[in-house]
Amino acid sequence: MNDTAFVLTLAASVAAAVPIALAALGELLSEKAGVLNLGVEGMMLVGAVTAFQIGDATGSLWLALFAGALGGTLFASIHAFLSVTLRANQIVSGLALTIFGTGLSTFIGKSIEGLPLATDFKPTAWGPLADIPLLGPLLFNQDPMFYATVVFALIIAFYLNRTRAGLALRAVGESPGTADTMGVAVGAVRYVHVMLGGTFAGMGGAYLVLGQVPAWSQDGTTAGIGWIALALVVFASWKPLRVLLGAFLFGFARRANFWLQGEGVEIPAEFLAMLPYALTVLVLVVWGTRDLRRRIGAPAALGVPYIRDER
Amino acid sequence: MLPFNVRLERRMDFPWWRNALTPFLSVLAALIVGGAFLAIEGFNPITVYRALFDASFTSKFGITDTLTLATPLILTGLAAAIVFRMNLFNIGAEGQLYLGAIFGSWAGLTISEGLPTILGVTVVLIAGAIGGALWALPPALAKAYLGTSEIITTLMFTFIGLFLMKYLIFGSNSAWRDTEVANFPQGRKIPPEARFEAFGNTRLHWGLIVAIGIAIGIWALIRFTSLGFDMNVVGSSPNAAAYAGIPVRRTVIIALLISGALGGLAGATEVAGRAFALDPNGLELGIGFTGIVVAALARYNPFAIIFVATFLGGIRNAGLALQSLPGERVPVEVSLMLQGAILLFAIGGEVFGNNRLRLTRRVTTADAIAEATA
Repeated sequence: MNDTAFVLTLAASVAAAVPIALAALGELLSEKAGVLNLGVEGMMLVGAVTAFQIGDATGSLWLALFAGALGGTLFASIHAFLSVTLRANQIVSGLALTIFGTGLSTFIGKSIEGLPLATDFKPTAWGPLADIPLLGPLLFNQDPMFYATVVFALIIAFYLNRTRAGLALRAVGESPGTADTMGVAVGAVRYVHVMLGGTFAGMGGAYLVLGQVPAWSQDGTTAGIGWIALALVVFASWKPLRVLLGAFLFGFARRANFWLQGEGVEIPAEFLAMLPYALTVLVLVVWGTRDLRRRIGAPAALGVPYIRDER
Repeated sequence: MLPFNVRLERRMDFPWWRNALTPFLSVLAALIVGGAFLAIEGFNPITVYRALFDASFTSKFGITDTLTLATPLILTGLAAAIVFRMNLFNIGAEGQLYLGAIFGSWAGLTISEGLPTILGVTVVLIAGAIGGALWALPPALAKAYLGTSEIITTLMFTFIGLFLMKYLIFGSNSAWRDTEVANFPQGRKIPPEARFEAFGNTRLHWGLIVAIGIAIGIWALIRFTSLGFDMNVVGSSPNAAAYAGIPVRRTVIIALLISGALGGLAGATEVAGRAFALDPNGLELGIGFTGIVVAALARYNPFAIIFVATFLGGIRNAGLALQSLPGERVPVEVSLMLQGAILLFAIGGEVFGNNRLRLTRRVTTADAIAEATA
């Protein structure tokens, strides 16, 4: 049964979920610190183009991935500087970051547009485990980045809920004034997590050229995944493990057409593409009302610059 | 740890020269950084900048093309400004623009034919404004009655609108699609009665005059009407507004609907003045998102928006114009990159203009003891 269109589609959905989940985990860290970063798409593009350039130059997959992550981190530091140090409007700064990232990546990616990349992530089968019906192709025949993403989500969940630093992070996102009083360096915590957000977005972008389509094209490479990641953080109500499940669902929406067409179901591709956004609105409206917001986990100080003098 | 504290202090004096100088210094800084990237890629920055400037701001057609691209940016800039100044963050002007284009082109295709041009175009604009406002309505209601953050809902509606527009042209044989052309799917052209008249032999059209007129209208609305007053009060303190008997929910909804209508108008003017059809690829340019940055750089002032939009329109235009210039091949992407760099520096410059960075010595306990015992 493992080579039916349905199972193949599900397996492809798992792979499609990886970059979405990576970017969303990064955004989650940034938002938990109280900083909304609408620059995800831009950071992913910068990560992707950097990873391609380094992968092309060195032939090393891991070096390329590292370069993509580093590119995203440095790029995110612009947003950290503008929104934390200079207290600029986070929405404006994030959007400007996406605009700059789009332009910069297109400009430096000009010479490599459409070229193939020789090296890429390949799925590895876990021997007999890969033959387990359904679970085999989904979980035991993926490339290394899939497993890394699952581990990242587990680590972040543990970090947020079980460590002192995670508690400090949540305090900064919920009530920076209180955190400051308790001796937490609000600015430093925000800087670190905005930049970590860039690390993950950059990795997600790198994975797009190293794992999915080994080529770079400005409008094809990310294809709006950065925006889907932003939706996913809300959809998953700021919980890392739900990010994984949500990414799988959103990944399925991107890959379902192959299976549906075989079944004779004609759902226009555009409607499937709308699905992540429509589901997120639904989640927000159903569960996101004022009284329930705390329960779904939105950081209370999300989007608000912290100014000590005005406390 | 640094041996000193970095503090951002609000400036108390605002001399005119600093207000005037800040934007110029920001642009200069962005050009230097952009120039570094150009140099790395093997271009002479001075040559590229000369070509950019000439392409958009010195020739007759350069200027008119710049203004043509500025027109929708003025409208999306206004869309953002009217709500951002009340701390309401409609970041969905992009999607409202798509819906404005969908509604506007529908009206142009079905109603405008046979009408006098002025009426035919007005119908397109009104339909576009309605489309944009409708797209802002669900987020507005969710915000007013459920307290749902409008930031995420308007962003989500943007992408729902994007794929709706794509579906109408690429995914179906809708009324918007030109079914007579067999090759690449494209929108059906609206009749001449639904199109803005162009100025002479340029691409510049009456949409610019409409956009400037609306900027004046928005300024008057904020300045002179009771709705504008209510919006100001709700923006600075919803609690005070409620206490003063201002209907907060209604004001929030109306403000978001006006904002959506302005975004929709931007889409309608693009249809009536430039594309003459529902053209997803020609509309998906980030005009709505850029409008937010335009508004922020203009400090949400309707008149300043006109100038900022013109400046950014010029940079966008230069990118297009450079491709057709003889001589050194300057990649079109330069303008995109520069636009982003200028936006980031301008945002930073804005803050530096209003605040000063102060470094103060960090006083440790040991220092304090040493000082006291000295």
